[in-house]
Amino acid sequence: MTLRPKIKIQTVLNLVAPFMGLILVIALFSAMPDVQSRFLRAANLKSVATQSVIVALGALGMTLVIIGGGIDLSAASNIALSSVIAAYAINAGLPPLLGLVLGILTGGLIGLVNGTLITRLKLVPFIITMGMMGIARGAAKWIARNQKIDAPLTWINELMSKSPHPPWLVLAPGVWLMIVFAVVMAVVLRYTVFGRHIFAIGSNEAAARLCGVRTVRTKILFYTVSGLFLGLAGVMEFSRLTVGDPTVAVGLELDIIAAVVIGGGSLSGGEGSIMGSMIGVFIMAFLRNGCTMMGWPNYIQEIIIGVIIVAAVALDQVRHRRTA
Amino acid sequence: MNFQVKFRILAAAALLAAACGGPKADAPVPAGAAAAGTTTNAAGAAPKTLTIAVIPKGTTHEFWKSIHAGAVQAGREMGVDVLWKGPQKEDDRAQQITVVEDVISRGVDGIVLAPLDDRALVRPVQDAGREKIPVVIMDSGLQGKDYLSFVATDNYQGGILAARRMGELLQGKGRIFRIRYQAGSASTTDRENGFLETLTKEFPAIKVLIQDQYAGATTETAYQLAENLLGRFPDVDGVFCPNESSTFGTLRALQEARLAGKVKFVGFDSSPKLVQALRDGHLHGIVLQNPVKMGYLGVLQIVKAIRGEKIPERIDTGVTLATLENMDTPEIKALLSPDLSILEK
Repeated sequence: MTLRPKIKIQTVLNLVAPFMGLILVIALFSAMPDVQSRFLRAANLKSVATQSVIVALGALGMTLVIIGGGIDLSAASNIALSSVIAAYAINAGLPPLLGLVLGILTGGLIGLVNGTLITRLKLVPFIITMGMMGIARGAAKWIARNQKIDAPLTWINELMSKSPHPPWLVLAPGVWLMIVFAVVMAVVLRYTVFGRHIFAIGSNEAAARLCGVRTVRTKILFYTVSGLFLGLAGVMEFSRLTVGDPTVAVGLELDIIAAVVIGGGSLSGGEGSIMGSMIGVFIMAFLRNGCTMMGWPNYIQEIIIGVIIVAAVALDQVRHRRTA
Repeated sequence: MNFQVKFRILAAAALLAAACGGPKADAPVPAGAAAAGTTTNAAGAAPKTLTIAVIPKGTTHEFWKSIHAGAVQAGREMGVDVLWKGPQKEDDRAQQITVVEDVISRGVDGIVLAPLDDRALVRPVQDAGREKIPVVIMDSGLQGKDYLSFVATDNYQGGILAARRMGELLQGKGRIFRIRYQAGSASTTDRENGFLETLTKEFPAIKVLIQDQYAGATTETAYQLAENLLGRFPDVDGVFCPNESSTFGTLRALQEARLAGKVKFVGFDSSPKLVQALRDGHLHGIVLQNPVKMGYLGVLQIVKAIRGEKIPERIDTGVTLATLENMDTPEIKALLSPDLSILEK
């Protein structure tokens, strides 16, 4: 009985702790005299939210993959290919909605292929998705004939507009999509059989299989879901750029992985949360935004983000050792 | 248990404190400590100095450093602060959009932008207009009419200079490569067109073996392309490249293949390595833009506009051909090796 309240306090603190990094970053820039009056303005928060959408959607899927003990290095190439497919479809005269759906399905298809190859060939995800990174990027350049696709402007390009139409939306539709899907995925991960099975596979795949978890099916499924999110991220990238650019988002997979890891995801699987990953996304987005507003050179920004990744993971490790 | 959490918070705080101490030793977290001597924003000081954001396509190329030097010089002369910020990854369209949005959020007084894409940057520039922030475009064009002035090299003219030099070097006959830079890049496309159209018109006997291969964004990709092309046509007579990275990558490939000096080579833009190549006779002509002037005029024009003066819609910053013969004249020297010492101060 005496233990109970103590546990509760710890639960609360554990819940708050992940926010600390984010709060610190925001507090830091809010205290800078150069930008303090501007940093927390609604307009700036809106632009940070819009800038986060693509990485956030990618991170939703990547969280599943990483919890399940996998990795997806093809994430950024997937985004590029999906955005090119959406632009190509719309440029070819298909209705925008179809372009959007095709973009998302392209992402899903790449995820499906990743998952299938990983489970059937029994190769490590690192290798399969590294191969897919090149394949998808090459395909994107091929389809776009090695240049950007200037698709006509449609309502798709309004999805990431900072001044949305109709104005009562306040935030860009893409931001709302990000919020809704984050909630949905948090619920899926926590309360559904599928979600729990991902954790089981990531913690101990052999044990999960022995307990009757259909590991192959679950794995293919979470890679596919992750791919669908990357496809959606690709459509959002197209929306933002207004052109389908096959060279977009090079290296973005590392930002996505970093967000998940900063948010407590473990590359050895079995750990991570949607909330944590979203916090990771926003820590990086606010840092970029703040550094740019301060006019700090890019290398400072890169160093800070690098330090934060290492520090976040190191601190997580320390916490674990103490709990263990 | 609280202990762990505290530890985590403390460590994170220490980390961030270190982070904000790094870039600007005097960046005060408590607002009271604003140092007086800094030349950057004197926050809240009585007469407000204008802050002009200058946004290049990248920050590591020599060319952009020269633009930076010109912008800083104009900033000093006009008494305005220059905020220099490029996309974190060179040539990343999405990140450049983010940078434009962020400087709008910061509330600068004007923006000088070298757009990475003539269309993708239209919307952020419109956003600036909505916030009443004037924009001057430099280096590469932008669709629409949401900016005050376009300060740039006449790139087509640069291509013409390169073609005439090539024709003269080859005495009107031979087989050449026209290496292209990157699809969708307006400035280099103009150079490529100026080159090819002049060459086919004025030197019809010269055969263009390769005219649609892209060198890509980096020296490395250019090197690989040139290596492959030279493997296929080792007896080529001339090569044209439309920017610094493709010129340097191709130069490396020519040197590796021991063809440097034998193949007539005309490039674009300067860097110390290219100047050396010109002196060694590995490079037979460099078309030079005037990036220092471009950065300088970009800032000058926007400040004039903010102060209510009328500014021209198009400003040409000129092109010049440098060769072994003229490279030591003072004018060409200043273009070949721009004085960047202003950036060190």
